[in-house]
Amino acid sequence: MSPRSTLRGIIRIERQAKVKIQAEARRRSAMGDIRYYAGVDIGSTMTKVVIVSDRIETALIGPTGPEHRKLANKVMEDALSQANLKFEELSYVVATGYGRINVPFADRQITEITCHAKGLHSILPTVKTIIDIGGQDSKGIRIKDGKVINFVMNDKCAAGTGRFLEVVADSLGVALEKLGEVSQHASRATPISSTCTVFAEHEVVNQLANGEPVANLVAGVHESIATRVYSLVRKLQIEKDIAVTGGGAKNIGLVKALEAKFGSPVLVPPEPLITGALGAALLGKEKCEKAILDGYSPTRSKEGLREAKLFL
Amino acid sequence: MVFVLGIDVGSGYSKAVVCEGGMVKSHAVMPSGGNYKDTARAVSEKALQKMNLSQGDIGYTVATGYGAGTVDFADETVTDISCHGAGIQHIFPAVRTLIDIGSQFSRVIRVNDEGKVKSFIMNEKCAGGSGKFLQIIARILKIGIEEISALSLTATKPVEFTTGCAVFAESEAVSRISEGALPADILAGIHNAMASKIVTLVTRIGLEERCAITGGGAKDMGLARTIGAELSTEVLVADEPQITAALGAALLASERISR
Repeated sequence: MSPRSTLRGIIRIERQAKVKIQAEARRRSAMGDIRYYAGVDIGSTMTKVVIVSDRIETALIGPTGPEHRKLANKVMEDALSQANLKFEELSYVVATGYGRINVPFADRQITEITCHAKGLHSILPTVKTIIDIGGQDSKGIRIKDGKVINFVMNDKCAAGTGRFLEVVADSLGVALEKLGEVSQHASRATPISSTCTVFAEHEVVNQLANGEPVANLVAGVHESIATRVYSLVRKLQIEKDIAVTGGGAKNIGLVKALEAKFGSPVLVPPEPLITGALGAALLGKEKCEKAILDGYSPTRSKEGLREAKLFL
Repeated sequence: MVFVLGIDVGSGYSKAVVCEGGMVKSHAVMPSGGNYKDTARAVSEKALQKMNLSQGDIGYTVATGYGAGTVDFADETVTDISCHGAGIQHIFPAVRTLIDIGSQFSRVIRVNDEGKVKSFIMNEKCAGGSGKFLQIIARILKIGIEEISALSLTATKPVEFTTGCAVFAESEAVSRISEGALPADILAGIHNAMASKIVTLVTRIGLEERCAITGGGAKDMGLARTIGAELSTEVLVADEPQITAALGAALLASERISR
């Protein structure tokens, strides 16, 4: 089973398929020689958990709130339940993302850039440049053989990040997940002169009041973000293939705008949000397998999956 | 006995001032909303009504601000930078550096002893350091904007914000609140972040004493003091800092008539 189709299968899980996978997991676990590794990615907007063995067992996404610890526990519990595993059956847990220090049951923390690169490489091995458009930042990552060789990031300014999309979607009265669809009906991309999210929102609202169609404004916003992201990522030496990850990748309109700006096709992994968690799990697996070869057991966190106290 | 009218249609608020014989007779302020044209009329009406006047009693009208072009009953439009200069000269003749904190931008204006603009600088690219910050925070803390000032002055441990971006400050504030930070400390932290951005602008254009703060943001004494402290100067704030440009517009209208 290729990683791509496995992912698709896992995410769009139907009840019958769920039961089938659970039965499969029980059988494999009973065989005793399967090892499971988990990756937890606590992003600024979404928390993602992926459990792998020699394939992807399960993947889960939940919203991040201010209480990182509690939420990491919850999403992990749900993921384990979905894979029909117990926490104790996990050989190693790696945490990544913005809130990675708030995962007491993680055995290791690894930066999200490293995890994203690893995760994406496992799904799309030909990619050399990654564009990551997250909730609160945007990044460009250059990879070679799955390792990060260079990166740039904007986390100071909301423009060019998912935040920009959120703000504008709100003022246009369009649900965030519908933006891509809506932009497909645009007759043109309304030019938006302001870079700043605050000013751009104002521009968009004024244009709307002047009768500009919503679809055109959404297309304009996509172009705005694509321009901003391009000027960030081109500081690296862009090499094909190019892929996009993060929440922004789920927006087909934005992806098309990126393709136009970068002058190249942009690949989209089947579930762009989980590449970080996937990479984290795979890195945990690598570490454990190397440890076994070298003849020692990797250090593990003493914390179990208990209800964590509120972080103060 | 000639009455004149100055209207400042800003991106956030619209202001109208009625003057007579070089003295302010009445003023009105209201949110601009989406329809600048209607708001301009409404805010003028409000200012006029306070003096039992109608548009017909007005000898000359000068419009200024972002939406000045929509004021169809204006005799003339003048840039709001110039109007600011004229306005501050009337209120505080000693002022040579003026910091205008509006809804969306902050600007610094240098004037000479006649209120004529020598230079100005604004950050057109970024809303950080603008009134937007205050609006966002007020909404999160569920308080009225006018409550910010007094509350911020009771802060004991200002929260440190890592961002200068008005949009990101919102998430940061939410996180800090969930960690138990007190509203007063959050406000003081926001003031520090804003002052930082504003002072950068002032430094680029140069500070010449005396310094005044105008615009809606100036109504926040906590912010004004923070800026003053960072600039090591005592900043001047008028009783009604928000109407400075509208006042300047009205004064310019007076000049036009007296020629």
